[in-house]
Amino acid sequence: MIDIGYTQVAVAVTLMVLAIVLSRWQRLGTEKELAIGIFLSFIQLVAVGYVLEFIFGLESVPAVLAAVTVMIIVASFTAARRAVHIPRAWLWSFLSILTGSVVTLGLMLAVAVITMKAQYVIPLAGMTIGNSMNCGALVMERLHSDITSNRPAVETALALGKNWREASHPFFVKAVKAGMMQMLNFLKVVGIVQLPGAMTGMILAGASPLKAVLIQVIVGYMITAAVTVTGIMAAHLAIRRMFSPADQLTI
Amino acid sequence: METSAARSDGTVLSADNLTRTVATASGDKRIIDSFSFRFDHRGLYTIVGPSGSGKTSLLRLFNRLDEKSGGEVRFHDRPIEQYPVTHLRRKIALVFQVPYLFPGTVAENLAYCCPVKTNPEEAFSSRYLHLVGLEPGLAGRDAATLSVGQQQRVALARALVLEPEILLLDEPTSALDPGAAKTIEDLILKLNRSLGLTIIMVTHNFSQALALDGVSLVMVGGVMIETGRSRELMARPGHDTTRRFIAGDLR
Ligand SMILES: Nc1ncnc2c1ncn2[C@@H]1O[C@H](COP(=O)(O)OP(=O)(O)O)[C@@H](O)[C@H]1O
Ligand SMILES: [Mg+2]
Repeated sequence: MIDIGYTQVAVAVTLMVLAIVLSRWQRLGTEKELAIGIFLSFIQLVAVGYVLEFIFGLESVPAVLAAVTVMIIVASFTAARRAVHIPRAWLWSFLSILTGSVVTLGLMLAVAVITMKAQYVIPLAGMTIGNSMNCGALVMERLHSDITSNRPAVETALALGKNWREASHPFFVKAVKAGMMQMLNFLKVVGIVQLPGAMTGMILAGASPLKAVLIQVIVGYMITAAVTVTGIMAAHLAIRRMFSPADQLTI
Repeated sequence: METSAARSDGTVLSADNLTRTVATASGDKRIIDSFSFRFDHRGLYTIVGPSGSGKTSLLRLFNRLDEKSGGEVRFHDRPIEQYPVTHLRRKIALVFQVPYLFPGTVAENLAYCCPVKTNPEEAFSSRYLHLVGLEPGLAGRDAATLSVGQQQRVALARALVLEPEILLLDEPTSALDPGAAKTIEDLILKLNRSLGLTIIMVTHNFSQALALDGVSLVMVGGVMIETGRSRELMARPGHDTTRRFIAGDLR
């Protein structure tokens, strides 16, 4: 296995310098952002590296759980920033990402596919939470825009004696599907067009490709399940906020 | 409908000091202001008034599609809040000014609220299509291919499927040519006289109120300024605004 240290990273920086030079030459105007990007990505990732080293070193279950909780909270607020039209979106994001993660990670832990160690739980949680976050934010925003632009359809259903759930169902379906689409498309072309990150990382770190593939399959299924759970739950929670208790559209 | 025939012709719907206030950019606005009225069972009522006078807003309070800010609406002498809202909306059916038909066939639209089980589907559709003066052959047509006039009639038929006691119609002939409008007016009279439906219809066209020969309620700026038999209002308007509205000076 190749030995990686700061020297190797410094060499890799020349690639970013190449990008800056190209940006300048082609007058893309992205030099400043690239420079900031070099700096921030380095600082953030190294910081995360130290944090992970620290947590791994603790070998403590509460520390792992605390780390996962912090990840979910950060993801919830990130999702809420994107779902600007949904009141208290952070809370709905939190509940739905939490559920998606607990269900999937919990199942993997319960059947002992993984054990309660930082090394397994944190990277897997990171991937399920990250994907769930994107899905939840997308689903909530999509619902808001679809229901706002389809008031006549929703109110016609309500006027015909349907409840809020029935009246919004077509838009619920569309939004959840949209939220799952990225994952579904990924599953269809995975390995053909692109080698996924987890697998690439394992191969680089020296694992056998076959083992890396099996892990990737597990990761892929976990993410799919988590995204589905989160999408459905975020949709339900967000839709409920768009109707009054008396089944009146309030947005 | 069979239950209503057995009932005496008392009050079926009443409003007492009904008010709705909405928040606007320039502060709160009373779009319905202290509206009080008793609608008799089997009555035929026309709500007239210039556009923006609150006619649509009033109908939406009767079937609880919007929430009142003050006062009370009673259906069969019980506050409407005491009924399950989906049940209330089937008993007090609203047909919107701009009809919305769900994607699918005309027959599917008719069966939207209550999937047809007993009757063969064709007999069911043709019965309701016949009621609103449409060809039974239209049942299989894609709803999106209908003319606006046909859509309006399908929307009316779809509301009749609910077997309501009260039919709220929001300018049901606004998109129709005079000939088609006459068919709808005749239909409204038939529904009122033969089926015993209480009809509350919005129109901004006073001649239509005259043709239907019911009781008119004149709305201006969210306030009901007067009420009486349409012909009497025509002969002896109690307000200058009513006179100007009848003369066609207000739109
Ligand atoms: N949700 C709402 N928010 C703000 N203003 C409203 C709302 N609904 C209706 N209005 C206003 O209330 C008034 C009455 O509207 P409407 O009932 O549609 O009148 P009409 O049907 O007689 O033309 C209008 O000035 C309209 O702009
Ligand atoms: Mg109107």
